[in-house]
Amino acid sequence: MRSVNREDGPVKVTGAARYAADHHPAGLVYGYVLTSTVARGTIAGMDTGPAERAPGVVAVYTPFNSLELRPDVRDDTAEPFAPLQDTRVRYYGQVIGLVVAETFEQARDAAALVTTRYDAERPRASFAAGLPAAVPPPGGTPETDVLAPGVASIDEALAASDVTVTATYTTPAETHVAMEPHATVASWSGDRLTIYTASQGVRLAVERLTESLGIDAAQIHVINPYVGGGFGNKWGTWAHTPLTAAAARALDRPVKTVLTREQVFTVIGHRPITSQTVSLGAAVDGTLLAVKNDGISSKSAANAFYEPVADLSLALYGSANLHVSRKIVTMDVPATTIMRAPAESNGSFALESAMDELADALGMDPLDLRLKNDSPIHPVSGLPWSSKHLEECYRLGAERFGWSRRNPRPGAVLDGDWLVGLGMATATFGASRSQASIEVRLRDDGRAVVSGAAADLGTGQSTVFALLAADVLGIPVDRITPVLGDSATPPAANAGGSGSTSANGPAVRLAAQAAKEAVVKLAAEHEKSPFRGEAVTYADGEVRGGDDAMPFGELLALLGVPEVEVTATSPRHPRREHAFRSFGAHFCEVRVNRWTGEPRVSRWLCVVDAGTIVNVKTARSQIAGGVIMGIGQALLEDLRIEPETGRFGNATMADYLVPVNTDIPPIDVDFLNYPDTLLSELGARGIGELSIVGAAGAVANAIHNATGRRVRDLPITLDKLL
Amino acid sequence: MTCTVNGTARRLRVDPRTTLLDTLRERLELTGTKKGCDRGQCGACTVHVDGRRVLSCLTMVATLDGREVTTVEGLAEGDRLHPVQRAFIDHDGFQCGFCTSGQIMSAVAVLREGHAMTDAEIREAMSGNICRCGAYPNIVEAVKQARS
Repeated sequence: MRSVNREDGPVKVTGAARYAADHHPAGLVYGYVLTSTVARGTIAGMDTGPAERAPGVVAVYTPFNSLELRPDVRDDTAEPFAPLQDTRVRYYGQVIGLVVAETFEQARDAAALVTTRYDAERPRASFAAGLPAAVPPPGGTPETDVLAPGVASIDEALAASDVTVTATYTTPAETHVAMEPHATVASWSGDRLTIYTASQGVRLAVERLTESLGIDAAQIHVINPYVGGGFGNKWGTWAHTPLTAAAARALDRPVKTVLTREQVFTVIGHRPITSQTVSLGAAVDGTLLAVKNDGISSKSAANAFYEPVADLSLALYGSANLHVSRKIVTMDVPATTIMRAPAESNGSFALESAMDELADALGMDPLDLRLKNDSPIHPVSGLPWSSKHLEECYRLGAERFGWSRRNPRPGAVLDGDWLVGLGMATATFGASRSQASIEVRLRDDGRAVVSGAAADLGTGQSTVFALLAADVLGIPVDRITPVLGDSATPPAANAGGSGSTSANGPAVRLAAQAAKEAVVKLAAEHEKSPFRGEAVTYADGEVRGGDDAMPFGELLALLGVPEVEVTATSPRHPRREHAFRSFGAHFCEVRVNRWTGEPRVSRWLCVVDAGTIVNVKTARSQIAGGVIMGIGQALLEDLRIEPETGRFGNATMADYLVPVNTDIPPIDVDFLNYPDTLLSELGARGIGELSIVGAAGAVANAIHNATGRRVRDLPITLDKLL
Repeated sequence: MTCTVNGTARRLRVDPRTTLLDTLRERLELTGTKKGCDRGQCGACTVHVDGRRVLSCLTMVATLDGREVTTVEGLAEGDRLHPVQRAFIDHDGFQCGFCTSGQIMSAVAVLREGHAMTDAEIREAMSGNICRCGAYPNIVEAVKQARS
């Protein structure tokens, strides 16, 4: 396994990396969005006069003085409707206007002068109140059943089990809080648009803008090499982006719009609220006989996305009988969207808590129960897993963490004022390999440029490009220049679904291989080549023929060829014969103060089976980051929706709590590194989401072991432990 | 007003509403300092004024007449990185990089203040700088390397 520093480290530690908001085209003016202050209704009128007369103001756009934008119905994770095209208010914090001024201060202060009158309606803003009327999602599959021959229903299978447990687990709305607020800088040159916008895939932004603006993709150039975190919230292209582009077109000046942190909470989507009622039935030896999970997710009235939160219960453990159902509660809240491990993160909290409750009921060690139900095949499709080493994760993790020292009796271990507990859970996330194209240019200065419209959200993807290309080309990593986040480069995979390295990695290798072949051909055939007519080979960055060898850069310089350029495409994997998933095992120690109930995570180990790990250094950081977001999910994160108003009550970074440095212990990460050669020759499956799955369950299980309290409602705050 | 930014005297005519953060980013083209929340809650905009760490989003630039401002762009000497910058690379103390300028400016000051004697002290002293990617353990290791 290779382990190298991030290739973009120097520009990130010196402040030289330019993110979307860091661009200042000449003649720039500043946009500031206006947002609604009711959650449902229509806008009766807006008084923009004082704002229009304020110093420096260039334009004020509202539904009554709009910019033409078209809807985009293709991406259900974002809003299908275009901003300012009607007076309807769908949620509190919806974009209802854009003020443009010469300076940021002028735009912000003018925005405060706009007054808006609403015909307000009572919003549907309580998930609890909506639960009795939850319905299957329109167009979705209401339920999935897998039943053994002769079994009529999941309830029959549960009734026939020796031991059963049933409980309901709930999770609150969450939000991504990527450090970089969404920003868009748009400038037009004739009918061509150049746009810097924070995005998990520049091609996604091109697609949305093509629809919204009614122009061809060839007219749009999206540039975004550095992304200040995403976690799902920069997959969609949100209202401020087409609005800023349209304003720049109307004004014939570049416009920069940066959402305020409060606006990011509502203009951008959030992770839905969920409820899962889980029943597990087992034989006395722990064999699962029935798994039932009825999942309910909130869904915004503004878009179609919800979490099919129970679905993980179909994939994680083997059982002869399985049942999940899917329902939604529609709410007048900002868009519901994907956030790190959508559905599976929340799904695992319920399932992994329930597994520990079942282990208690059986009098079994929770690890033994999981080992007992580790399935060599996908429980629904029956397809064999491509490469599953979960048992090794469990055993290696248990040994390294000291699991055998866990006291099975809850509340039995006291260290001073702290009750100490150990917990574990399974990590998992699906894997795929989409189509990806990459361009490699070998240059006469001995460097290679590796390009593709992928995104590095902090994942280390650009370093993966450099490492893999360097390996194939046989040159040092620092002689590779990766180019990501530019829509003018070939269509590589966007950053989502843990699918960047699994798709782009093979494409980088193919393109680098094709580049080697192209330079070998050039060496053998070019009339000025010293290797002309010889049997030419390539090794260690050199072209070789006869007794001679020459670095490719020297050869190109000699031939007067500035560069050799090739593009290669790695196809999508059809996944017909195997099921593909990454796995891992979390082990953690949590300490709970016996007087205050304060929970503190004090130790963590995650053992990962995710196929080939291309760069251990950045992969370890990414796995630790997922665990840390999972600790936030377990103990802190809770986006509060005021049931009367539909307003987010804690839409600031001081009120929506995420982990800070002192909340986090050292995180130990171990990789098994078995290549998944059925997915690709490279064998990498992807790790962006894997480690948040199971993390909250592991914490909940450790807290139960420490205190005897089983908390089934996230986050597990100290009031629930008193 | 006049202030010194990264060793260079800057004479500015400023809108009294303007923060140090927006002045650095929008007027002086020093975009290394980041706006994460604009209300002193995330730490991404941390810079030094007269050697002390401040949140540039909560500092009105008009109050800085005659003061000395240092941003992340002012730490390295040419191509030679500051030891804290070097340590952040060595220990992978960041992922997306957006909080990194603020983390580094805090770390430099925390070390200078002598608030980094133990791991617990480093974790506490660095807790005003949020990192959503979760680089915290690596940041602690980076601060320890820079300390030595």
